[in-house]
Amino acid sequence: MDTEKHDTTAPSSNRRRFLVGSALSGTVPFLPHEAEARAPLAARPPGDAAPGFALHVNAHVYQVALDPRTTLLDALREHLDLTGVKKGCDHGQCGACTVLVEGRRELSCLSLAASMQGREVTTIEGLATPDGRLHPMQQAFMNHDAFQCGYCTPGQILSAIGCIREGHAGTPVDIREYMSGNLCRCAAYPNIVAAIEQARDQGEG
Amino acid sequence: MTGPLFPQGGPNMGQPAPRYEGRAKVTGEARYPSDVRLPRTAHACLHLSRIGRGTIRGFDLTAARAVHGVIDILTHETVGDAIRQTPAIYQGGYTSDSLLPLGSAEIAHWGQPIAMVVAETYEAAREAAQRIVVTTAPHPSPAVDINAPGAETRALEPMMVQAGDFDAAYAAGPIRIDARYTTPAQHQNPMELFATQCVWEGDRLTVHEPSQYVNSVKFGLAEQLGVPADNIRVISTHVGGAFGAKGFLTQRTALVAIAARRLGRPVKLVATREQGFTVSGYRAETRQHVQLAATRDGRLTALRHEGWELTSRADTVAMGGASMTTRLYACPNILGRVNTVAADRSTPGFMRAPGEVPYGFALETALDELADRLGMDPVELRRVNDTQTEPVGGLPYTSRSLMRCFDVAAATFGWSGRSPRPGSMREGDWLIGWGCASAYYPAQAGNSAARVRLTADGTAHVASAGHELGQGMTTMMAQVAAEELGVPLERVTVSLGDSDLPPAVVNGGSAGTASVASAIMIACDAIRARLGVPRDAPYAALRAAVAASGLAFVEELGEARAHGRSPESLPDMYRGRALPLGGVELPDRVQFAMGAQFVELRIHRWTREIRVRRAVGAFAAGRIINPRTSHSQLLGGMIWGIGSALHEHTDIDQRNAAYTNANLADYLVPVHADISEIQAILVSEEDRLVNQAGVKGVGEIGVVGVAAAISNAVFHATGRRLRDLPIKLEHLL
Ligand code: FES
Ligand code: FES
Repeated sequence: MDTEKHDTTAPSSNRRRFLVGSALSGTVPFLPHEAEARAPLAARPPGDAAPGFALHVNAHVYQVALDPRTTLLDALREHLDLTGVKKGCDHGQCGACTVLVEGRRELSCLSLAASMQGREVTTIEGLATPDGRLHPMQQAFMNHDAFQCGYCTPGQILSAIGCIREGHAGTPVDIREYMSGNLCRCAAYPNIVAAIEQARDQGEG
Repeated sequence: MTGPLFPQGGPNMGQPAPRYEGRAKVTGEARYPSDVRLPRTAHACLHLSRIGRGTIRGFDLTAARAVHGVIDILTHETVGDAIRQTPAIYQGGYTSDSLLPLGSAEIAHWGQPIAMVVAETYEAAREAAQRIVVTTAPHPSPAVDINAPGAETRALEPMMVQAGDFDAAYAAGPIRIDARYTTPAQHQNPMELFATQCVWEGDRLTVHEPSQYVNSVKFGLAEQLGVPADNIRVISTHVGGAFGAKGFLTQRTALVAIAARRLGRPVKLVATREQGFTVSGYRAETRQHVQLAATRDGRLTALRHEGWELTSRADTVAMGGASMTTRLYACPNILGRVNTVAADRSTPGFMRAPGEVPYGFALETALDELADRLGMDPVELRRVNDTQTEPVGGLPYTSRSLMRCFDVAAATFGWSGRSPRPGSMREGDWLIGWGCASAYYPAQAGNSAARVRLTADGTAHVASAGHELGQGMTTMMAQVAAEELGVPLERVTVSLGDSDLPPAVVNGGSAGTASVASAIMIACDAIRARLGVPRDAPYAALRAAVAASGLAFVEELGEARAHGRSPESLPDMYRGRALPLGGVELPDRVQFAMGAQFVELRIHRWTREIRVRRAVGAFAAGRIINPRTSHSQLLGGMIWGIGSALHEHTDIDQRNAAYTNANLADYLVPVHADISEIQAILVSEEDRLVNQAGVKGVGEIGVVGVAAAISNAVFHATGRRLRDLPIKLEHLL
């Protein structure tokens, strides 16, 4: 019911943008015919009739056809195998699913994947350079031990980048206020604030 | 640029090595159990009871089955006898409660799993689960909480503690305190949801599930499914926080396992945040009664602590903190009692410092009340009653640095600048309150094993079925092997979180590091003995010895037996029964980590807004293997303490015991904006007795005492003594 990309033209402006093959498509479930036959029309979601669309993630283009109810979060995790993005509530209450959309932080559990057509999504997997050099925010989180279990961490890092870009990281008080949508149950908060200050002072965001 | 907050080292401390798995966690490469991708996975969604105690009259699954993509729906009518009734951990078994999953038409509590849908996609499973229609007969008057009329109170005689003659001494006491306290139900809410993936290959089952104890899941599931334990493997490489919620086998795992077997496909369940409130255990609400008598110079002459803890009808679960709070201060006449109150609720379980948080709140607040009555500094009251021997049995503490912690924390905090009279410290419209309390947590360990392999190329590998919950287990394992063998840290690799590895203790009770480090040390000793290499031999000599042995590698298994466990108990760890032991449970001694908590808060004169401005904690916990990760655990614990005092409580619907705030917008946990200045100080302490590694553990002590320090600071700011948690501004109006 959904497939990964076939062919899309990559904008030449971004050298890192390239096509992703259909390596994942073999693992994507198809609805068995029995289930289709049993389903009365009224209860059938129009999912399998959904037109395919392109998701631009981390400078890759994925051609997908998803149940229209699929959130960006579930699309990334369950269909594109980008599991760095985490589900902590699915209700916009915890920030674990934070991604950057066109460079701004957004909660992927509150966005439908279909609404992302033509918009550039950045997940934690897209932060380090292709040769493995960490983004300064990632490095700052490591330097300051700004995580314990690590489950909220991708969301904290992406949110922190957004926070600096928005100009909301000038003081510790500002950082705390504007990072409050990202819960950390391990409560690495003091270390996260210190890490954000380090990255900010390096001019990163 | 700000430097790191964690200390760089100190006496009896190792290196603040960066986290072994740090890079994997900041790049998103770390795969938590729900991130593992299995081909042809079907998705499951639970349907939980929306009534309290009652009976299922029937299911109408028509609408649910009609959802496009639905494959299977499990209910008590369709699972048959696929899952066997087995004992819960409280009865020597493995499960976290004794309700048989989808066992019958009886509903014991709101939120009990009563059906599970399996579908091609998550979206279809979720929709179908919502379309299940259940006809039910609710019980007319379920007992919803610890105060409900229908709840049954039972005294737990084995938990009674007695010394001297409490009644007589209390009656004769020159100064007396008699106070009652309550603490609320709370949920751990680790950020990672309760997920389970199961896949069968023939008759072999692999389970991916976040866990604090893979072997408990493995052996419990074997019993439930009637499958040989050798056929089951449980993998939990990364765990997104646990805090007690992932200690034992919950009902969901067997359901996912049998669904996967019925389908012949992998099945993945990720319980929603709301479902998580009843999928696993929680911190039960308590009522407590404390009576203290003291001489005019502050010496305790009588101490009574009685607790009532909520439990389910199905299971008698009690954290029994009074058995500990009665043994912390010198006092000749003691009475400790614990009762359970059974209601129509899900079975409670463990949550970070399960007994110490509620009981410590009551005792440490009562001591502050006594200090106030005596006109005595609360730090001095603790000093007067400090002891190196436990007062009930006269057993020695293996080490106890309570007053050193108080002195260090008080100096850092600036406690001497406190004006003792309540309401006497102000800044503009803000009332300032300073409060303190003791922190304590039993030093525990459980039988554990670890395998260490030293390879001819000079690398080492450490393996044990312990868990990385965020506490730094992986880094610690590498560090201990590196230190013991003299191998550079970057040349050590680690495997954990897999039931195929040598078994470890359940990673709870702050026992993980003490237990697994001891096992690694034993394995390293054996390697050095086999190679004939002395303890402090240089790395080159070690490598030369392996080369001379002609072996590709030298490998040894270390088995560490916890103090107080018999030699006959060792095989138990190979059956998923390695539980922590320590604290006051030993025949010959008591062992505790100790600490001191200081808090400054401000309360707005008009709005009564309460803000914690700063907190200083100092903790002595034996050897600190890694000051970086230990410091983070203590900071996190202290912040949990702030949440426990001011934010966290699970709201219970008085009609059906539904949890009405079962989401992260309404169940309040501390967020960035709640936390400003928090300082955790590691006080160096050496304890060669406590266990081979000399480690007491720091996972839980950080949270203990904070709530009392806060309630004591509220009293100092306002003169109002609040004895019910959480403390909210409406209590101060
Ligand atoms: S998962 Fe999106 S905010 Fe929690
Ligand atoms: S690091 Fe565990 S939730 Fe933030």
